[in-house]
Amino acid sequence: MTSDSTRPAWIHHLIDPSKMPLNRRRFIRSLLATATLGMARPLLGAPPIRFGITGVMLNDRLGFLNDWAAWLGARLGRPVVFVQRARYREILDLLLRTQLDLAWICGYPYVQHQDVLKLIAVPSFQGQPLYRAYVIAAAEDSVQSFEELAGRRFAWSDPDSNSGYLYPRSYLASLGYAPDRFFRRTFFTWGHRRSIIAVAEGLAEGAAVDSYVWETLARRDPALTGQTRIILRSPLFGFPPIVAAPNLPETDQTRLREILIGQAGDATGRALLAELNLDGFVTAEPALFADIAVMARQLGLGR
Amino acid sequence: MNTNRFWSSYRVRLPLSLSVSAILTAFCLALALGGQTLVNLRADQGRNASMLAHAWSEMLVQALRTEDVWLAYALLRGPEGAANFDAIWILVDVSGRIFASNRPRRYRLDQPLREALPWLEATPGQVETLEWVQGNQAEAQRLLRLPLFSDGTPVGELIALLSDTPYLPRFREILIGGILVTGAVLALLVPLGWLWGRRLVAPLIQLSQCMGRVGKEDPRRLHCTLPGDDSEIGQLGRQFAAMVAALAEQEALKERMLQTERLAAIGRVAAGVAHEVNNPLGGMLMAIDTYRQAQRPDARTARLLDLLERALSQIQGVVSALLVEARADPRPLTARDLDDVRTLAQPRLAKSGVRLIWHNAFDVATTLPAAPVRQLLLNLLLNAIEAARDGGVVQVRLLSKGDRLRLWVRNRGRPIPPDRLAQLFEPYPATPSARSGLGLWICYQIVSQLGGTIEVASKGELTTFHVSLPLDQSVGGEGP
Repeated sequence: MTSDSTRPAWIHHLIDPSKMPLNRRRFIRSLLATATLGMARPLLGAPPIRFGITGVMLNDRLGFLNDWAAWLGARLGRPVVFVQRARYREILDLLLRTQLDLAWICGYPYVQHQDVLKLIAVPSFQGQPLYRAYVIAAAEDSVQSFEELAGRRFAWSDPDSNSGYLYPRSYLASLGYAPDRFFRRTFFTWGHRRSIIAVAEGLAEGAAVDSYVWETLARRDPALTGQTRIILRSPLFGFPPIVAAPNLPETDQTRLREILIGQAGDATGRALLAELNLDGFVTAEPALFADIAVMARQLGLGR
Repeated sequence: MNTNRFWSSYRVRLPLSLSVSAILTAFCLALALGGQTLVNLRADQGRNASMLAHAWSEMLVQALRTEDVWLAYALLRGPEGAANFDAIWILVDVSGRIFASNRPRRYRLDQPLREALPWLEATPGQVETLEWVQGNQAEAQRLLRLPLFSDGTPVGELIALLSDTPYLPRFREILIGGILVTGAVLALLVPLGWLWGRRLVAPLIQLSQCMGRVGKEDPRRLHCTLPGDDSEIGQLGRQFAAMVAALAEQEALKERMLQTERLAAIGRVAAGVAHEVNNPLGGMLMAIDTYRQAQRPDARTARLLDLLERALSQIQGVVSALLVEARADPRPLTARDLDDVRTLAQPRLAKSGVRLIWHNAFDVATTLPAAPVRQLLLNLLLNAIEAARDGGVVQVRLLSKGDRLRLWVRNRGRPIPPDRLAQLFEPYPATPSARSGLGLWICYQIVSQLGGTIEVASKGELTTFHVSLPLDQSVGGEGP
């Protein structure tokens, strides 16, 4: 047995160089080097923008995140630092306590804290700022519908996830089931990608995941998603937004919004977006997340 | 029969036994290495599993306490999916149900351990154990059990099913490596063994071929290339050569004796005939003489008598030539007598243009009679001059050595054919090509009567006559 076996899988993925698209990485690095030449270097003394990220995106690629932070920092004239935590809740807490300036969170916690959080931008995926929830089962399993997973083992991604928790529970409730008794056993994987792994490897017999994460993984690691099969596609919801802490100055909000919206207009920015499998960032109104808010209220969890 | 000979040949047996021993060695080595590797791997596996279990235990206790299935699974699963793992890990909660495993399809979440592994002792012990599995279980040969406690209270158990299956590919590698190495060694050994076998066997074959010729051929002409090194085969070869030499010697002796006996018989017959012929010849010549003195014959009768007398004299000459009387002249031989022969041969030398190298070192007193020895030397010299032909060289050496007079007459010229050598000393040899005459017969008679030996050696164009005569004739008896 190797020492690797002592590490959880996700750590291994973080450090495994074979998982990185090296050529594209080098391309982006070279673009970054030329693009930031004429720009204001991030001021050394300036406090960094702390940008929290969650499992709504594939947050396991540190190299990419460093490149994106460098690009954002060069535009902003301030260093940008990405902050990760194991669970959505921790990022949300940090954001609400203003220990983060900015965070990319799920629409579900956003609608719960809509009154204090400032909507900065929403990613555009496949032409619109929308995504779905997928309910998946193992490819070899004969199960055809979500209802057939009754009495089985099911993986939630995170209690603060719309696609990985709120929507499937809401769906079951709408069919008249009690979501907490529908399955024999449920557990949290704390990430959409891990939910996909759990189903692919037989730990769970079904899981609810973010369509953006599944589709992006289908491009990056088709062998993994190929072991799963989508048995339910939800209606479209507002894509997990980028929101600002309650106390982030208006000027910073505007500046950040401009930079994100303008990312698709910049060569390096476009390359980074391609890595994210996104078209760009767009402005949005809180109404985009109305459907999620309705589900949250129905399940008695809204605030 | 042929295949038997093929397989019993050392040319086949040597490379074969080399190959067999190489294969056997490789096999035993592979077996020993494989066995040792297996023991080491098992020990490593047990140690690693135990280390890993202890390293994980705190996190697993936490996972059990907080019911974090994914945390436990992520630990047990390892980095690259379940398939690459050496051991099957099963985390069991306190109620005896499976909480996590790195084979989630086989050992399912919440499955009772009793159901998943019926052969397993259900109640966990208090301490870590590593033991062999009783009976033949497909899942594992060895079992690691680590009971997990939180503040002294049992919360579950971590089980590792250890099996040799993950090592099979490594054994295949060892096996393939062994086969490849053996193949390479064989590729070297087989031709090497073949060559070695050939080298080893070649002298034996030489010897065997040579032995096959013994009895069929004259041992004196048996020229074999025999192994000459210091090995046992070389010794055998030398022994064999010695044996052949002894055979040749014996053969030569036998032939010399035969020849001597034959020549003696011929000599007796010739002498007998000569005596018988000589007596009436003498009478007839005397009668012719008496008739001439008694009356004067007319011319015709006188011519007839002359004719008769010449013919009878010729017969008498021939007969007396056959009757060699070596001891008739008692005058002893001196060096001068020998030098006279050189002078006598001068006219023939001048006529033939042959060069003579004369070396006379004879200078002792002897009772050898002068006349027969002179005749002997003259005959041999004239023969040699004749055989040497134009521009040739004849060499004569004369010396006394010990109690013997030795003389060599050597010429370069026509070789004597081997079939002639046997009958060389007989009177009027049958071979038509030969120069007929009594010269060598007389030589032989003289040498025999003087108790000496005469030998001829013809090597290519070089022909040598060697005569050895006892100096003291008072001691030496009659010749052979």
